[in-house]
Amino acid sequence: MTHQRKLWGAVVLLAGFHAVVLFAGFFAPYDYATQDRDSPFASPARIHFVDQRGNFHPRPFVYAAASQPAPMQFFVSGEPYKIAGLFASRIHLFGVAKPGRIYLLGTDAYGRDQLSRFLYGGQISLLAGLLAAALSVSLGIVVGAISGFYGGWIDEFLMRGGELFLALPWLYLLFAVRAALPLHIADWQVFLLLVVVIGAIGWARPARLIRGVVLSAKERSFVLVARGFGASDIYLLRRHVLPQTYGIVLTQMALLIPQYVLAEVTLTFLGLGVSEPMPSWGSLLSSLQQYYVLSSYWWMFLPAILLIPIFLAYYSAADALQERWKSVSL
Amino acid sequence: MTLFTEPLMNIRGLGKRYAQRRPFSRGRAAVCAFDDVNLAIRRCSTVAVVGESGAGKSSLARCLALLDQPSRGEIYWEGQIISGLPKKELFPLRRQIQLIFQDPSSSLNPRFTAAQIIAEPLRIHREGTPAQRYERAITLMKQVGLSPDAAQKRPSEFSGGQRQRLAIARALALEPKLLILDEALSSLDVANREMILDLLVDLQATRALTYLHISHDLQLVSQFAGEVAVMHQGKIIEQQSARALFACPMHSYTQELIEEIPAIEAILEERSA
Amino acid sequence: MRYLIRRLVHAILLLVAISIFSFALIQIAPGDFFDAMRLNPQVSAQTVDGIRSQYGLDRSFPVRYERWMRSLLGGQLGFSLAYNSPVSPLLRVRARNTLLLTGSATSLAWLLALPIGIWTAARKGKLPDRLVGLATSTLLTIPDILLFLVLLLLAVRTGWFPAGGMISSGGEEAGTWSKAKDVALHLFLPALGLAIVTLPVLLRHIRSAMIEVLDSQFLRAARGHGISRRRLLWRYALPVAANPLISLFGFSIAALLSASVLVEVILSWPGLGPLLVESILARDVYVVVGVVTLSSVFLVAGNLVADLLLYATDPRIRVE
Repeated sequence: MTHQRKLWGAVVLLAGFHAVVLFAGFFAPYDYATQDRDSPFASPARIHFVDQRGNFHPRPFVYAAASQPAPMQFFVSGEPYKIAGLFASRIHLFGVAKPGRIYLLGTDAYGRDQLSRFLYGGQISLLAGLLAAALSVSLGIVVGAISGFYGGWIDEFLMRGGELFLALPWLYLLFAVRAALPLHIADWQVFLLLVVVIGAIGWARPARLIRGVVLSAKERSFVLVARGFGASDIYLLRRHVLPQTYGIVLTQMALLIPQYVLAEVTLTFLGLGVSEPMPSWGSLLSSLQQYYVLSSYWWMFLPAILLIPIFLAYYSAADALQERWKSVSL
Repeated sequence: MTLFTEPLMNIRGLGKRYAQRRPFSRGRAAVCAFDDVNLAIRRCSTVAVVGESGAGKSSLARCLALLDQPSRGEIYWEGQIISGLPKKELFPLRRQIQLIFQDPSSSLNPRFTAAQIIAEPLRIHREGTPAQRYERAITLMKQVGLSPDAAQKRPSEFSGGQRQRLAIARALALEPKLLILDEALSSLDVANREMILDLLVDLQATRALTYLHISHDLQLVSQFAGEVAVMHQGKIIEQQSARALFACPMHSYTQELIEEIPAIEAILEERSA
Repeated sequence: MRYLIRRLVHAILLLVAISIFSFALIQIAPGDFFDAMRLNPQVSAQTVDGIRSQYGLDRSFPVRYERWMRSLLGGQLGFSLAYNSPVSPLLRVRARNTLLLTGSATSLAWLLALPIGIWTAARKGKLPDRLVGLATSTLLTIPDILLFLVLLLLAVRTGWFPAGGMISSGGEEAGTWSKAKDVALHLFLPALGLAIVTLPVLLRHIRSAMIEVLDSQFLRAARGHGISRRRLLWRYALPVAANPLISLFGFSIAALLSASVLVEVILSWPGLGPLLVESILARDVYVVVGVVTLSSVFLVAGNLVADLLLYATDPRIRVE
């Protein structure tokens, strides 16, 4: 029973977090590129309820640089943004009136709000991870299904190919392919390229696992019965065999997404991914390579630290899924 | 009287070999499942093929159900050759020959509902709309003695006997002429066995079905089979009407089998009566 | 014997596939490499033409591949624009450093994981096992990048360890012993980081391999004979667990190489990692391909070594 709870807990957390990232424009007080040259490396603002004179205010406020209390406002109108690139809006969850500023996670060298950049960054890094994982698993399903169902030389050939992909150090492979592609192309193209490269390299393990399930499923009596009715191969795969793989598919997704998010973050961190001012979490962390940033401005670590609960949620989900499908093995 | 009627299914010299697939063995030793099988199945009859496990009975069942291609020999259906036909031509034939497996738990997809299971052959042969197929499924459920309320239940919610009824309902969906039962009663307890046998007898009368029973249990078979063929080590060694078989078996192996039956005297008495 | 030959053939095929892949990459890369080379005043026109003819750049694909393979096998890996030198000597030094780093990290990781893995396997389900399991899961959720950055922070803030490089400035002149100590000091943090990153997965696999052996019938029979626990563990269980562990070692090399790139960049260890990143940014195609090919060769060699070890230690494989 506990793995049911673990699974639901993880799913709720993840759904919540992904929803926040999807509506980053709403939750973030500022745009990801807005600079504030007057406040480079500002430390995170603290929310107060009691002012310096000891008076209690029900409305929380922060102290902006001018040492004037700036009350927080909710559902304010701020900078324009687009939800999922389609619907325009100006309403933000919270903000402070100008000239006050609210930097809950501090700012970077250009005075850009780190919270806003983190939330918008999720749209890049998380999405990259999700899409790449979906690509890997889809490729894995196709290859695994063909390999397991038809067997013979096609199986040999595909599995040997998979061994090749598994044997190579994937990061090197990633770099190599990235190197072959042009460096300076449009942002969305870089993003797409990253997704395709990361996703296309990782098909081998899901393919092998799915092949295993397909191999055992196709021998089950009910498949034979359907064959006896004259069902085509596609029908058998679609209705009887592939549904057996749902467990593995979900588990693989839960395991691959964090790995691929990390892959995108690493690539961008090293300068090989999306470029400024796109706020991939990798770009947010790249300034830490400078010693003075590293040792003096601790809040720049936060994007990396915030990855931990996300990964925890995904791994817990994967664990719970593995437990669940182990006990339901048919 | 039946001498001049074409048998429904006629099997001549059927044989099946499986190639050894062990990668480390030297040479290609082939395993022969059965060889030189001749069998004539007449309409509306109940024929039984009896033999111990490993005698090649299941392989035979699969070949006759068109799930496997035999290595040698021919299968005739209503006078036409059907063994060796390409897939497309076999498709309409599949409606007429159905196979029921021994273990109903594994022959029913645990994720499907009862209605989906029964309607599946209709779906594969693209008969009717989903609503019509559902109606058919309900009708069939009633005919095999299952309550239509159970239409949305999954196989795990049925008992063993009920699952076998489900399998039979499914097999009847396309209105077949021949039903091959591969040890279909062996996994049931005695009470269920009786009920299913009654059902089968009923269905045979109402639908003009022909049955081919594959079994290792001569005693079981003696209760309902009209004709019995005894299989030993891949060959049919004796084939007669049941009465004649029990009265004077021609082969020593058959004699052995008969003697193993505990209540044999009662049966012989009944038979001669 | 057949097993060894099979593995050798497999390794060779893998290397050939890698070489074709690397070669294809060079072909895809935009042709500005040679144009850039020509524009560079430091590189003489003769060098450029020499390289062009060496690689037969005006000929067909198979000819180019053959020329490339030939120079590859002759130890020639091309020319680096950024460093203005042939690639091979450049790679040699960097490769040595990376090997030093990954070698120490692997040894460290295995030295820690093996005893802990065996210890927790023997106490499966009890408190120490659960605690270690918890620690392992926690470590798994920490992204590598965070760990390495924290280690860098440690170095910068405390000054206990140097924050980068392999030798302190002026250290080349020192005697062998103090040079070794200097390098070791520089090596410590990156090796530690790499070891911590590979430790959790390693630990899990060792533990499950040991548990499988400890639960097996033959071991229970031996226990029934009254053989002492220690002897059981070391003389009976471990040799059998060695097979999956050696295979594990083979598989872990790929992950190790991937992780080493990041640690080398962040902690400024002069290995193949930073070289790779720089050369991609500089469009230094031959260096990129050289690094990828070389690391793949390491990988294949490492797996071959693992196969050899398997052959030597597991009698079942010899019989097959």
